Amino acid sequence: MCVKILKLGTLRKLEDGRASVEEERGRVKVAQRCMTKANYLTTLSFTRWVKDWANATPLFEQAALNFKLVKMLEEAKLAYQQAAMGQIKQSSPWMAAKHMEAAGVLAKELSCWNEVVDFFKQASALYVECGKVQPGADALIRGARAVQELKPNDALTMYMDACRLLEDDNREQMAFDTYRAASNLYIKLNKYHEAAVVLLRWGQAANKCKATQSQCKAYLSAIIVYLYAESYEDALACYNNCASMDVFSKSDQDQCAQLLFSAYREGRANEIKHVISTSTIIPHLDHMIIRLAKQLPQGKVMSQEVPIMDIT
Amino acid sequence: MSVIDILTRVDVLCKKYEKYDLDKQWAGADSMSGNDQFLRLYTVVEADIEAAREKSQDAQSEKNRAVVATLNAEVRRSKAALKAEIPKLEKLAAKKVKDLSKEEMAARPDLIVALAQKIEDIPDGVTVGRRGGTWGRKASNPLEIKLDAMHPDDLMRPEHYEQTEESLALRQEYEMRRAKQDEGLDIIAAGLTTLKDMAGDINEELDKQMPLIDEVDTKVDRAAADLKNTNIRLKETLTKMRSNRNFCIDLILIVLILGIGGTLYTYSFSPFTPSYVCLQPLLMYQQSFAVTREQLSVFILNAIVSC
Repeated sequence: MCVKILKLGTLRKLEDGRASVEEERGRVKVAQRCMTKANYLTTLSFTRWVKDWANATPLFEQAALNFKLVKMLEEAKLAYQQAAMGQIKQSSPWMAAKHMEAAGVLAKELSCWNEVVDFFKQASALYVECGKVQPGADALIRGARAVQELKPNDALTMYMDACRLLEDDNREQMAFDTYRAASNLYIKLNKYHEAAVVLLRWGQAANKCKATQSQCKAYLSAIIVYLYAESYEDALACYNNCASMDVFSKSDQDQCAQLLFSAYREGRANEIKHVISTSTIIPHLDHMIIRLAKQLPQGKVMSQEVPIMDIT
Repeated sequence: MSVIDILTRVDVLCKKYEKYDLDKQWAGADSMSGNDQFLRLYTVVEADIEAAREKSQDAQSEKNRAVVATLNAEVRRSKAALKAEIPKLEKLAAKKVKDLSKEEMAARPDLIVALAQKIEDIPDGVTVGRRGGTWGRKASNPLEIKLDAMHPDDLMRPEHYEQTEESLALRQEYEMRRAKQDEGLDIIAAGLTTLKDMAGDINEELDKQMPLIDEVDTKVDRAAADLKNTNIRLKETLTKMRSNRNFCIDLILIVLILGIGGTLYTYSFSPFTPSYVCLQPLLMYQQSFAVTREQLSVFILNAIVSC
């Protein structure tokens, strides 16, 4: 467990420095008093056979707030955890989830990454428990965003869980940003096939909610990612699958893909670069995809003899 | 004044007063189906010349250059077609027609010449200063660039298909202008693609926001209804609390309590009660201040009445 205790008096600088230090000391005393009392109320003894969460929870909340204001983050995190427990015991999962999120934010500031993941996952579960799927997914997304630099695999898991939650609740449209974030993270980790799978899943979700623009863009992005990963066959198979859909086959993105494939079939790198640089469709894709497209072609380009399936 | 000028002047005058010439109108109806094919063709060619002249005047007054070019091209085409009719007229003029005088027969070739001159005189935006030229002229200057005015002799010359400086310059200018137009069209296409993409994204975003707004709308309506009910109930409660009936009841109760208190106090000073013994020192204390029991009870009763 990481512990950081900041010295008092090094925080806010007001004109009257002495008053701020005393104010902070007062807060610390109040917080410690609340914490002590709340711990007392929740400790079983000979005279107390049942934990008094009803009275202890507000004390924990007050203590957490005061600790947070004086930047005693470790103590604030513990207080928030206890407050969340108290709210759970009082059958109030919404408030418990809020406290868990607050604890997660503090854990992030303390660089306790495992705890960040746990807290946000618990918060999400609590939101789902009280029937609020969107806030649950948002909690997972916030947690993933917090840890994606240092724990990318956990972040990806959380992103995909958020997508699954929204898909199960028929709210695919709210998941578009999550798909984009997940695919960008996969690309950053050089996991191009997984990124392409996420993009195709995005296209499927867009198809379900009739978002044709996003659907076509997602399919074209997946094709570009496959080509960047030097998987011409996978890209072609992906294109053939996508072209069987009327929505994509009649779109500008399909024409762009056809030009790209014809340039690849001829095996001319200059032609490929020319198609990408003069295309008016590729600049409207996500910035990570544009970056990959500008680096095409990757690897050795030979003239391809694999024919495109005739979709007529 | 030459014969041609006289004929032209006569034509103009006849045309002006055509509506008064009953014979001509009747004869026109007859001769159209009659034997004089020359006259028929001549009339048609004259009408076409008039139409071409009107078109040429429209082209001169038009400001739009594209429309001017189109009209000029049509005028040139009409002129070429009319020039092709002249040999037919010459053949028909040589035919003998019944009931036609010798002078009229002799005047027909002059009419044809005048007609050819009229065709040449129609401005078509290309040919300038061709007055005095006659039909049957020799091949024109081989180096002059002409549009829609091909002479058969020109086509047979070998130099006809060679490039000249003027034609090269024209071609280069044409290519340059075409490239500029293509460039402009490419820029417009790119801008339109961007607009289309933005419009598509906006459309999707609106579709996403619509159910959320509907949900917010429902919840706000529900909250407003709850608030309204709560306000009504609060108002009723306040009205009940502040009613006059309650105020009177409160007053009566206070008076009763004071009365009971006073009675108890009075009763406590009676010698037949145990409390009298306890209160004796108090009574003696009261007496020291010359306050009698009667005066005290009167005082208390007055206090009750005043309340």
